[in-house]
Amino acid sequence: MFKDLLFGNLTLDAIPLHVPIIVGAGIFMVLVVATIIFWITIYGKWSYIWHEWITSVDHKKIGIMYLLLSAVMLLRGFSDAVLMRSQQAIASGTNLGYLSPEHYDQIFSAHGVIMIFFVAMPMMFALLNIAVPLQIGARDVAYPYLNSLSFWLTFVGAMLCNASLVIGDFAKTGWLAYPPLSELYYSPDVGVDYFIWSLQISGVGTLLAGINFIATIIKMRCKGMTLMRMPVFIWSALCAMILVALAFPVLTVTLALLFLDRMLGMHFFTDFAGGNIMMYVNLIWVWGHPEVYILILPAFGVFSEVVATFSQKTLFGYTTMVWAIAIITFLSFVVWLHHFFTMGAGADVNGFFGIATMIIAIPTGVKVFNWLFTMYQGRIILATPMLWVTAFFTTFAIGGMTGVMMAVPPVDFQVHNSLFLVAHFHNVIIGGVLFGYFAGIIYWFPKAFGFRLDEKWGTWSFAFWVVGFYVAFMPLYVLGLNGFMRRVNHYSNTMYQPYFIVAALGAAFILIGICLQIGQLIVSIKHRHTLRDHTGDPWNGRTLEWSVASPAPLYNFAELPIVSTRDQFWEYKQEHLAEGRVHPKNMHYHPIHMPKNTPAGFIIALFAGIAGFALVWHMWIPGLLGFAGVLITMIARTFKTDTDYYIDAATVKKTELTHIKEMI
Amino acid sequence: MHNHEINQPDFGTSQKKLGIYIVGFITCSILTLISFWTVMSGQFTKWEMFIIIYAAAFIQFFVQLLCFLRLNTQTKQGRTNVMSIIFTGVILTSIIIGSLWIMWNLHYNMM
Amino acid sequence: MHSEDSVANDHHHASDSTDVFGFWLYIMTDCILFGCLFTTFLVLHIQAMHGLVLKSYLNLYDVLIETFLLLLSNFTFCLAILNLYANKLFKVQAWLAITFLLGASFVGIEIREFIHLANEGFRWDVNSQASSFFTLVGTHGLHVSCGLLWILLMIIQLPLLKMTNVAKRRMTYLGLFWNFLDIVWIFVFTIVYLMGAM
Repeated sequence: MFKDLLFGNLTLDAIPLHVPIIVGAGIFMVLVVATIIFWITIYGKWSYIWHEWITSVDHKKIGIMYLLLSAVMLLRGFSDAVLMRSQQAIASGTNLGYLSPEHYDQIFSAHGVIMIFFVAMPMMFALLNIAVPLQIGARDVAYPYLNSLSFWLTFVGAMLCNASLVIGDFAKTGWLAYPPLSELYYSPDVGVDYFIWSLQISGVGTLLAGINFIATIIKMRCKGMTLMRMPVFIWSALCAMILVALAFPVLTVTLALLFLDRMLGMHFFTDFAGGNIMMYVNLIWVWGHPEVYILILPAFGVFSEVVATFSQKTLFGYTTMVWAIAIITFLSFVVWLHHFFTMGAGADVNGFFGIATMIIAIPTGVKVFNWLFTMYQGRIILATPMLWVTAFFTTFAIGGMTGVMMAVPPVDFQVHNSLFLVAHFHNVIIGGVLFGYFAGIIYWFPKAFGFRLDEKWGTWSFAFWVVGFYVAFMPLYVLGLNGFMRRVNHYSNTMYQPYFIVAALGAAFILIGICLQIGQLIVSIKHRHTLRDHTGDPWNGRTLEWSVASPAPLYNFAELPIVSTRDQFWEYKQEHLAEGRVHPKNMHYHPIHMPKNTPAGFIIALFAGIAGFALVWHMWIPGLLGFAGVLITMIARTFKTDTDYYIDAATVKKTELTHIKEMI
Repeated sequence: MHNHEINQPDFGTSQKKLGIYIVGFITCSILTLISFWTVMSGQFTKWEMFIIIYAAAFIQFFVQLLCFLRLNTQTKQGRTNVMSIIFTGVILTSIIIGSLWIMWNLHYNMM
Repeated sequence: MHSEDSVANDHHHASDSTDVFGFWLYIMTDCILFGCLFTTFLVLHIQAMHGLVLKSYLNLYDVLIETFLLLLSNFTFCLAILNLYANKLFKVQAWLAITFLLGASFVGIEIREFIHLANEGFRWDVNSQASSFFTLVGTHGLHVSCGLLWILLMIIQLPLLKMTNVAKRRMTYLGLFWNFLDIVWIFVFTIVYLMGAM
């Protein structure tokens, strides 16, 4: 009895020893983790890691940790992609391929979940953390402790998803787990439970981060920075975070209801006793559509920054840009039905949502034209971030056009859930979101780390990524129009095979692109002294983050800036350049108020992870302990009174003078 | 000891006054009693009951916003708070009405 | 020129304002959460009835009592806030304790109601109406319970915090939370109970 309460349904059988690929992946994961732990111990760096990173509440460090998480999960998500492409390239006619349907189902489900929740979202939060406080002239985000908590909750969610690889199964339902397949009767194993809890835990983290950034942007802008003087990236961040705050509760509710169905036998989405399966589909897409706008808006923001900086020209049409973002934000909440046109609604409902979907393309078009007009007659520098932007224009435009095609319900009836759909969303997510985030990472990398990334490696990795993307996904459009559906692990008609072989080749190119990115990182670290950013302003930037050292000092600004126009830093440089000065020499330094590091975020997330894992396996005692741990840590933290400190003026002065010396 | 006035931080709420709380409490009590009596007395048609209880609910909602939460547009933060609740309300309305329309439509077409 | 004190005060006022705004934003997200639960309730409620129906089990007198308990507790909490700004620590704790008792009575009646329903056969796994009823009302009850725990915590912490701006800020959070729960309850008793009894 006690053993049941402790171990629940967890037995040694949960480890899938009969699937060689998983055993291999599991051993690889364990080896990597063990190696890292080994190296940290050998170099005696545990204290450093704990004090400087794990307990950090500094947005700059948290941003870097988000980036690291997304990079590692990109490798896992991409491995899933390679498995799928290779399977589909060979599993034609009599050849069944090497992946069983049960395994293949888990792969495409994990691929989707990982790429959206543990690659794209963390990458977005990495960019927001690194850039937002600096761009608005603030010292940190509004709630540094919550910021740390948000990161660790996301991390724990990702680890829960990784645990499902070696202990038990993942969901076999696709990344959105529609019932009745995801109900207990058709998915009796733990897969869907892993899905639910890794998303619930990281979802709380995301929601808190959304609240954090809204408050930061609304309340902590420096003096003189009115809403209409904010960089466009900040506008896009604000609107994306508003979407997070309003959409993520819907995800929380929907997954909770699914959990209640599975755990307590309730009837929200069962196909009997009054349950309504379509209600799940409806609710999940009420969340799901704003989610994709959450991902794309910051990418649009990055493009605005990068295009203006590398065209050396003021962004064209600031006001229309802001209006476009605001309209997209609102409209993204009235289009969600286009994800299930074919599932039974009448012509009036389909028509309304189809038209709304087409309308939302218009503000996006406005933005694209504004970027092009910014580039027109600018003095363009084709640095790597700008290369990603140029690739984005064409790629995202194609993806957007296929989207508008599918917004027409009769067309959608032909291509819904086919590879045409798959090609479309990869087109906009890779071409829009990923290209934008890559541009942002390269753009802000010097600010975060103090040295630029190697341009040559950057250009080559870009080339392989872009070519790889087109080679991998254009065949999918053709296949989709020829009737080939998604999530298929084998097909008997061999006429499709050439397309899949080409697509697999494209995936190989992308793989090379990723390897070149890893190479770029290694080479840049090796040559970091040559690539060092001495001035804090490696790109001749326009916004406030370029006015401080690289990497930025702990307190960001020795004295909070006061602005009176947009692109204040650019204006400042133009004025002061004439006088031969770039920075003021005589400044009065004050002590700066900073929050103390705290382990609370990490500990709460850890307990949440224990609770989540325990709920998956019905291990009631660990589950209770996990919940209790979360609650007690939260409450204990509220009794702590010394949560901040002052950096003394002398330290600030020393840091600033070191930076000024380096610039000269 | 400093004698200068220490202003309160701007929480976006109006000044707290006992009188307003009492007015709010009495108004809400009356509205609640109206709603319950409407249904429990059985003297009205379904539509009449429907309209009365929903109207009472929304009025009580606003009374509570104004009297207990002290929402206002006087201060900057107050205006920000009001804007956020209006936007949340707009999105919530869209989600609720949209979902009800869709689910009813599906039920009509597919059942 | 500002003295050190008022500079620190301004700094605290600015960050306090930001902190309370963040809590207000959280309340907005909770509105969406409850909105989804209400929508689900309405969708699953309006469907063709499957077996046991909520109407047969409702006791509106209990609900009326619950409503007044919560409304009164809302009012007593506001009294606690008034005393907080008047710096009367003991009165704050007293009104908080009364609020707690009223809230606890609310939860007690609700639990008793749930047990009664379950005994009568209207359990959460019997049909979709029951599931959505127990989830919606239960989620509200869970929020109230968390609020009760928080009130206890405040009673304990207030003497330690000594009526500083931290105390005012935390009581403001709790006030927003507690008021918000009463607002949600308006819609619960209207949509779930009164509509259910029609």
